Amino acid sequence: MIARPAGIAATVALLATAAPAAAQTVRLTKLSDVAFGSLSSTATATRSQNVCAYATNASGAYSVRASGSGTGGALTLAAGGATMAYEVQWAGTPNQTTGTALPANTTVGGFNDGNVLELCNLITTSSASLIVILRSAALAGATAGSYSGTLTLILGAQ
Amino acid sequence: MRIKSIRFCLIACSAIGFLGTTPAVAATQGSLGATSTGSITITVSVPSRVQITGLNDVAFTNVDPSVNATNAQSNCVWSNTATKGYTVTATGDGTAGAFTLKSGALTPIAYSVQWNQSTGQSTGTALASGTASTTFNSTATTPTCATAPATSSSLIVSISSAQLLTMASLTSYTGTLTLLVSPA
Repeated sequence: MIARPAGIAATVALLATAAPAAAQTVRLTKLSDVAFGSLSSTATATRSQNVCAYATNASGAYSVRASGSGTGGALTLAAGGATMAYEVQWAGTPNQTTGTALPANTTVGGFNDGNVLELCNLITTSSASLIVILRSAALAGATAGSYSGTLTLILGAQ
Repeated sequence: MRIKSIRFCLIACSAIGFLGTTPAVAATQGSLGATSTGSITITVSVPSRVQITGLNDVAFTNVDPSVNATNAQSNCVWSNTATKGYTVTATGDGTAGAFTLKSGALTPIAYSVQWNQSTGQSTGTALASGTASTTFNSTATTPTCATAPATSSSLIVSISSAQLLTMASLTSYTGTLTLLVSPA
């Protein structure tokens, strides 16, 4: 205890420093390549797969952005000089064959990870569905050949 | 936020030792971060296909036997090969696929078949029964010519005057012509 002379006011400096907010992070795993094989029919072909989308924020909310390997990120496959358009959909739950359309280079939000683990490696083994669609119109007019392309998906926290 | 992260870490850390994951062979998995990027390869193979549509029956009615009779019609052949190429194999229903028309026990009469890869033509390349033609190229942009051009090729069927003169008057002769189109 320090004795203070009478008549001198004591002053206390108060300094408050807010702790930095925890970074909101996401992780996308369990992606698999999509092989449609040889399509002799021109009927619309759909391939869906379960993936793991994880978000650390309290709500588990995240967004998805899809970009293809076509010009300007277009969702197209290429075979020599020929191209074929495809569509991508995303569902916030596994085992879905339809979902929300993901236009090329457009961030689409409103999904939730369903409280999965970071790698979906316990109890719940996936948290979302990725759906790739080749429409009948695209197949009917497609030049014969072997098409391939790369689809890049970017998860973002919300 | 913090509580959720801690809980997940605890469970993950205790489980990862015996569960693990099985990553896809070629797909790229995302890492933990403010954003996470993954990628996949998409492949599909489209076989060569062709389609012939827009064919109409041919009727020669009350023809003048002193001159050759010809019927030309435009139709649509679509091919999805890189060159839009195709061949045509024509077969009649006569003996051994001969191009003939018949009427009961009367002697059949012969007709000829020509093909032109352009629409609106009255002459073309002669087709031999059962033999694939040389390669033609289509201008059709969609199957069945659903979008312009509405037709892409011509089928020409002719009966020579010499054959017409052998026909019995007021008698109907019939036959079937089958056209097989193949990608080329």
